[in-house]
Amino acid sequence: MNIQKIRQDFPLLGWSNGRKPIIYFDNACQSLRPQAVIEAVQRYYEETPACAGRSMHRLASEVSRQVDEARQQVARFLHAGRKEEIVFTRNTTEAINLVANALDWKAGDVVLLTDKEHNSNLIPWQMLARRFGVCLKFVPSNPDNTFNLAAYQQALQGGVRLVAMGYTSNLDGVSIPAEEVVRLAHKQGALVLLDAAQTAPHQRLDVRRLDADWVAFSGHKMLAPSGIGVLYGKYRLLETMQPFLVGGDTVASSTYEDCQFLPPPEKFEAGLQNYAGIIGLGAAIRYLQQIGLENIEKHETALNQYLSEALKSVPGLQIIGPADARLRSGIVSFFIPGVDHHRIALMLDQMAGIAVRSGQHCVHSWFNSRGIPGSVRASVYFYNTEEEARQLVDALIKIRKVL
Amino acid sequence: MFCVISFIVLSILGVFSAENRSLAREALDCVLRRVTLRPCNTGFDEKMKARILGFVITKTETGARILNRFFEPLSWIFVLLFLGSAFFAVRGVYLFYVTGSCNGLNQSGFCVFDPTGQSNQISNVGESCPVVLPGEDPVSLKGVNLDGFPVLNAEGEKSIVFIGSYGCEYSRKAYPVVRQLAEKSAARFTFLYYPVKESSDYLAKVGYCAYRQDAEKYWSLVDTFFTAERSQIEDESFIRQTLSEAGYNADTILFCASDPQTEWVVKKQLSEVVKTGFFGTPTVFIQNEVLIGPKPPRVYAIALNGLLYWAR
Repeated sequence: MNIQKIRQDFPLLGWSNGRKPIIYFDNACQSLRPQAVIEAVQRYYEETPACAGRSMHRLASEVSRQVDEARQQVARFLHAGRKEEIVFTRNTTEAINLVANALDWKAGDVVLLTDKEHNSNLIPWQMLARRFGVCLKFVPSNPDNTFNLAAYQQALQGGVRLVAMGYTSNLDGVSIPAEEVVRLAHKQGALVLLDAAQTAPHQRLDVRRLDADWVAFSGHKMLAPSGIGVLYGKYRLLETMQPFLVGGDTVASSTYEDCQFLPPPEKFEAGLQNYAGIIGLGAAIRYLQQIGLENIEKHETALNQYLSEALKSVPGLQIIGPADARLRSGIVSFFIPGVDHHRIALMLDQMAGIAVRSGQHCVHSWFNSRGIPGSVRASVYFYNTEEEARQLVDALIKIRKVL
Repeated sequence: MFCVISFIVLSILGVFSAENRSLAREALDCVLRRVTLRPCNTGFDEKMKARILGFVITKTETGARILNRFFEPLSWIFVLLFLGSAFFAVRGVYLFYVTGSCNGLNQSGFCVFDPTGQSNQISNVGESCPVVLPGEDPVSLKGVNLDGFPVLNAEGEKSIVFIGSYGCEYSRKAYPVVRQLAEKSAARFTFLYYPVKESSDYLAKVGYCAYRQDAEKYWSLVDTFFTAERSQIEDESFIRQTLSEAGYNADTILFCASDPQTEWVVKKQLSEVVKTGFFGTPTVFIQNEVLIGPKPPRVYAIALNGLLYWAR
């Protein structure tokens, strides 16, 4: 993997606006976009800015073909059985909301979560608890924030309707043993939804091997345009689910009294779709596959190891999650007790052009329960270099001397 | 306190940039919360502090450390400095408006609105004239006998006394302004001619004789001497012509001017002028104020009629 050559594909990495070139370590929030994706989106608006599946003219036919191709591409990317199992959404949050609102709930149904879920995989279930009396249970993590399999097994015993878990945590980069989680859940008759927003961009996903019932992820964290996400669902489940958003393009026909829904995935894709985003997602997946997800994962792990080791030289700095960087994907979330995390992030930006995330990263529940005000999160991707990591550490050492 | 100084600075910068306008709004919110004894919850102060520290740390680590440690006291210092400089700026503007100089009446320090100090320029009474140096006593009309000096609007309630010289560039600048003001305000206008050059001594005697002979015609003579070319007023033929044009008999006036009695009286008058303690022309006494140098017209008007002169 030639990183220097890869970096040339990302316009922002060569752009400095008269200031220091940007060092982008906020990939867990949103990745940068390569020229190929930008061009794919631009091509859509320039050459085929039309509706797919509705109009009959050649522009519409071309868009339909491209959307279909992108859906096929996503299916292959996930190793799904058929492309109809791919539902396009706006993002992971909408995909999770779709599942939450498409099942028939009754009071006492149990939804099992981990104790460090992103709000996207927490609030939708809290709403069900309010509306239907659904019961939420949380699997406590181990002291080092890794997944507590024993606690999970124990939690499953009480009868669980749905296990909804983040595959890879956006807080610390720790992944759950997804295959084992799914196997144990299914054994207890529970359905499984995996929030793979932080997984899909960084490691190979095989939904059939995982056997998860639903997998959700976003395009904007994996080079695709913002506003496009994916819900993979087993076809037989999608068929039985009630549509969440309804309206145009979800029905085959309607009378004044009733309607006949289209089969999945159309019945879940209401209204005009984000065609530019879908086509861009296809281009992003092509780009990722050219590089190879195994290469990406390997590079990120090595970079995280380097970064985690180097960060030991910053006095007082504490990394959230396990000490072994190999367990933290491409994420290093850290804090310095007594030093404001936002101040660190702003200073990194101001002094060295380093973009990191600061705050509670939409995992307020975890921070609030532990009384930690927040953290600084540096998340790497395949275009980041060891030199950039070194600059981050150097800047942090300087900041630590001052603050 | 940082919010206050930020708000002030960003409000000024906000005139030129939208980004700073939005920051100024945040700062204002922060200020409003602070004055109502609530904590600033926008994170504005933290954000700005981090930005500033981030900038300073690239220049000097020690500086950044000191700044971080004494951020609040430094903010206080900057606020106090701002308030101090704002006070002096406002005072300077006020003084410039009222006295023509940012530093006060007849004060000669640098003034941004009058960088060349034109309002305070005078023709010093120099080597070729009877030497008059600024004394320790203030310039004043106290103890000066003004009887016998030319007076316009003798019945006027308010009083203007003008010490000037036909040969002085600055007197020539100030005279028409003061004269017009006196006429417009019906103020008593006393003219004390004081030659800054020996060559124009002669005109003092001509003026004295002309005024004694006909006070009404005298003022057109003075107007002409102040507006004529400076080289002309030393020319006897020009003086003759001007006297004639003013309606005087030039021979009679010039004869009078050469009379030793006239010389004696004029010398006495000049010594009365010197008693004012003045050290250059023009020097104008308006009511109780002394204005030295050619001031903007509004300054004379304010001295005579007060700050709201334009409303009268």
